[in-house]
Amino acid sequence: MAEVIRALRSAEEKIRARWSLLGPLIFSSFILAALLADLISPYDPWKRFNPYQMPGWEHLLGTNDMGHDILSELIFGSRVSLAVGFSAAILSATLGTAVGLFAGYFRGMADEVLMGITDIFLMIPQIPLIIVLAAFLRPSFWLMALLMGLLWWTALARIVRSRTLQVREMGFVAGAKAIGFSDNHVIFSDVLPNTLYVIAPKFMLTVASAMIAEASISFLGLSDPSMKSWGTMISYAFSRGGFINGMWWWYLPPGLCITVFVLSLVMMAGILEERDIEPVKVD
Amino acid sequence: MRLCSENVSMSYRTGYFGKRSTILEGANLEILPGRTLGLVGGSGSGKTTLGKVLAGLERPSEGRVLFGGRDIWKMEARDFRLFRRKVQMVFQDPEGSLNPMKSIERSIQEVLSLLKVPKRDWHERTLDMLQTVGLSEELLGRRPSQVSGGQNQRIALGRVLLLEPEIIILDEPTSALDISVQAQVLHLLRELQRERGMGYLLITHSAQVVSFMAHDIAVIERGRLV
Repeated sequence: MAEVIRALRSAEEKIRARWSLLGPLIFSSFILAALLADLISPYDPWKRFNPYQMPGWEHLLGTNDMGHDILSELIFGSRVSLAVGFSAAILSATLGTAVGLFAGYFRGMADEVLMGITDIFLMIPQIPLIIVLAAFLRPSFWLMALLMGLLWWTALARIVRSRTLQVREMGFVAGAKAIGFSDNHVIFSDVLPNTLYVIAPKFMLTVASAMIAEASISFLGLSDPSMKSWGTMISYAFSRGGFINGMWWWYLPPGLCITVFVLSLVMMAGILEERDIEPVKVD
Repeated sequence: MRLCSENVSMSYRTGYFGKRSTILEGANLEILPGRTLGLVGGSGSGKTTLGKVLAGLERPSEGRVLFGGRDIWKMEARDFRLFRRKVQMVFQDPEGSLNPMKSIERSIQEVLSLLKVPKRDWHERTLDMLQTVGLSEELLGRRPSQVSGGQNQRIALGRVLLLEPEIIILDEPTSALDISVQAQVLHLLRELQRERGMGYLLITHSAQVVSFMAHDIAVIERGRLV
């Protein structure tokens, strides 16, 4: 009986180990496709062929109403979607980490002011505000990323603050202060590395949220029409009759790409959360 | 130089309208070079807080901490930095005393960098330090979780010794170690004191440790020295 349980556990571990590779594998495939778009794309995404062609050998995923090759659009569109996702996540992670670190480390007045500002930002209805601003300002993917980055740092700030409050009470932080290291040195060299494992999964989830938001805003027709993204592809398929006429090859691939890529990010965030970190004792 | 506290009190208020709770009340202590003052008391009696106040890590609500006759909280930034080097603290939890994300070598070398020791001398100074605390070079590439508690405590002590302190506040330095390692660390501390003439404030709740190490003893109870 014990041997059976051991064998089952070992099989479970093997399956888990293999599954844990799936997220990074999908993630890196999309990143590579975006980086090597010029090399791997079969056509220029703006080149016109016969419109409404079904998938076939010449156009693996068919063409749209303008005769653009869907596969080429998909590959080039990944650049914009990923750029928006990562730019928004980098900006929000930088802001959230800085606010959380300084509030948690210095506490007192700095904590109250920074957390007060965080609470105010938390009360802003973020997606409607981004939609309104995107509608009134000149449509641009960079503006979208900037707005998301400026509005989405609050949750991370709270998480980083909580972790910083724990880390600042640990012996090595007091030891570093006693040795005479500056606050900046202690924050960036001692506290920040010990908060990275809470930042990394949140960063991945922010990339996923920003990509979904980009797709939603593009679907509403509020994005830059001169650039192709997965969101604009779905938007055009909807507004130009792709859905009504059952042209699944037009709207399904970008939808699937968003879903699969977001899934890979969520899987990676899960791996980062579950990853064994070295035990750190609290005084 | 000697380090002393004059009527040091410490109290905290939780929230704006919370009740003020007193942790230390009118503490007077004096730590002299070459001597060990044992500070004994139960859990929560305020021993560590008094140690932190004396090390300049926490500012007292009332009273003064004097180093060489000067109030440390009225010192200019440059003098305060010098005080920080001369008065050091070694903490209870050996593993928690070193950053778990850094190798032992990096933890030592960042102190050398703080002291502005030229990079070419780092390796030699590191080896000297390891020899002083009786450790081998093999440990350098490891992380704190990969070495024993006693070795971590020696490394933490070695890091502090690089600063050539005059006073060391030892906050239960052996309480997390097993008995044989405790004896090794205590002997090392006594030997270093004899060689370098440092003053120790030894915070402990162990009567055996205090009788082995201390020249003088102070007892603290509910924040008051009795």
